[in-house]
Amino acid sequence: MIEQIVFYLLAAVIVLSALGVVLLRNVMHSALSLGLCLAGVAGIFASLGSDFVFAAQILVYVGGIAVLILFVVLLAGSASDLITRQINSQWLPSLVICAAFIWSYLRITAYFSGIAAKSAPAPTVRAIAGAMLGDYAVPFELISVVLLASMTGAALFARRKEE
Amino acid sequence: MTEETIKTKFSEPIFNRSHGRLLMPETRYWPTRMWKSPWRLPTYRRGAAVMAGILSGGAAAAWLLGEAGPRVAPLYSLAERYALQQGVPLFLVATVWTLIKAAVLLAVPLVNALFAVWWERKISAHMQSRMGPMYVGWWHGALQTVADGIKLFIKEDIVPECADKFVHLLAPVVVIIPAIVAFAPIPFGRELVYADLDIGTVYVFAVSGVSVMGIIMAGWSSGNKFSLLGGLRSAAQLVSYELPRTFSVIPVIMLAGTLNLSAIAGLQAGYWGGLLPRWFIFYPVVGQVAFAVFLIASVAETNRIPFDIPEAESELVAGFNTEYSGMKFALFFLSEFAYVLLSCLLMAAFFFGGGQPPLPFLGFLPSWAWFLAKTLTLIFCFLWFRWTFPRFRVDRLMNFNWKFLLPVSLLNIAAAGVLIWLLS
Repeated sequence: MIEQIVFYLLAAVIVLSALGVVLLRNVMHSALSLGLCLAGVAGIFASLGSDFVFAAQILVYVGGIAVLILFVVLLAGSASDLITRQINSQWLPSLVICAAFIWSYLRITAYFSGIAAKSAPAPTVRAIAGAMLGDYAVPFELISVVLLASMTGAALFARRKEE
Repeated sequence: MTEETIKTKFSEPIFNRSHGRLLMPETRYWPTRMWKSPWRLPTYRRGAAVMAGILSGGAAAAWLLGEAGPRVAPLYSLAERYALQQGVPLFLVATVWTLIKAAVLLAVPLVNALFAVWWERKISAHMQSRMGPMYVGWWHGALQTVADGIKLFIKEDIVPECADKFVHLLAPVVVIIPAIVAFAPIPFGRELVYADLDIGTVYVFAVSGVSVMGIIMAGWSSGNKFSLLGGLRSAAQLVSYELPRTFSVIPVIMLAGTLNLSAIAGLQAGYWGGLLPRWFIFYPVVGQVAFAVFLIASVAETNRIPFDIPEAESELVAGFNTEYSGMKFALFFLSEFAYVLLSCLLMAAFFFGGGQPPLPFLGFLPSWAWFLAKTLTLIFCFLWFRWTFPRFRVDRLMNFNWKFLLPVSLLNIAAAGVLIWLLS
């Protein structure tokens, strides 16, 4: 009962703030509702009882990505960002495509829906660490190499050309 | 007054009510002559006696009160039994119990701000040979912060004309809520913890990082270029210093093998050779470097001098909180002091053994008293820094973080690996 109330409240927060991201005119408001949306996803993770994913979501997305997006909005913004409508005349086809995606996604996830999850956070860190540094050590390291390469590439592109 | 009278007889201080300055004749020769024989000053002797009295009185009170943690569980079972007798459902008892615990936790940052603001003003005053607040309250302006709080409550709430009203209203809330929520997994002593989370360390860092959003919101929504600059600077600074701060804790987590804060504090019990406590700060090189990096990054994270670029009074007219007044401003202030307390509690838990006594024979004092003593000492260091160092320049601040602190903290993680290999 309480689990369902919490879930639907969080889902409402996520959906409304996600709509706010694409519909609000002020780009700063959009960025802020993106932060709220990501925090709502973290709340879903917490209510499903996966403590580490919750903390990682808050740490990386709300405290990191959303803040960086706000930073970019403040630095690279122009005056028109505050009033421009985000939707152009092609909104109907995109809505159809989105609906198709949502329908197919619902079909995929219907198999898993209704599976009860633990409501209290249970320790998962040890299991995650064992999986990442044990069974999946090679993919984990490969991902970190890819990230390092992309970071180096970004630094290279961002560097000012020498005269 | 001749040279001879200064040497032989120190007169009583004359408290000048117009300036609040100490007008002792010897303070004119500060610090050389005064510090040649400070114990000859009657004020110095009296101050030392008062300090000794406060310390021993506090220790005696803590000894009389005893350990608080183990008393909580019997209290809860007592409430449960009473509820069973009265026919009250048990989930109601659990809910009320959680609410009471939450209220106690909420009181921690509030009481801390009341005390720390007064303490900061007194310390700053005495460092500059002033008296600081002296009138409100019975003793040395002890109730000055309460009076300030009442003043802030009855102040007019001014919202600028070109501000984004809703975001302007929301920003202090976004700043203060993570600052309070982050206290949940902090152990205040043995078994004195609101939520004993298995991922306590990650949780604290994650939640306290959310406050940056509030600061950016405040800076942007004020519709003021100084506030916007303050918000931008704070975003850059806080996100940057978050990295070495988190990395400096990793050696501690590696040595402890857990993320649970009370477990980390509890693992540091015991003494090497019966004398040197097994605190993480005493692990050779790794512990000291980790503590230094964490301390510096914590000062930066709490926006305090020498890292107060986001709210530099003299260049940004207080930065992101310029356009706030009344209680909204007070919330920013409250969250700053809440983060100072949080950093000091974390340092006490990570590096100073939490509630473990520093020497074996001092174990008669309860663990919460040791935790409090260590935390207050660290808070004193924070206040001391503030009134000692000048402000960093923005580019130097960033260079210092990315080119010095971050490599050092990464190297320290490698050194921790070597240390663990040597110890095993």
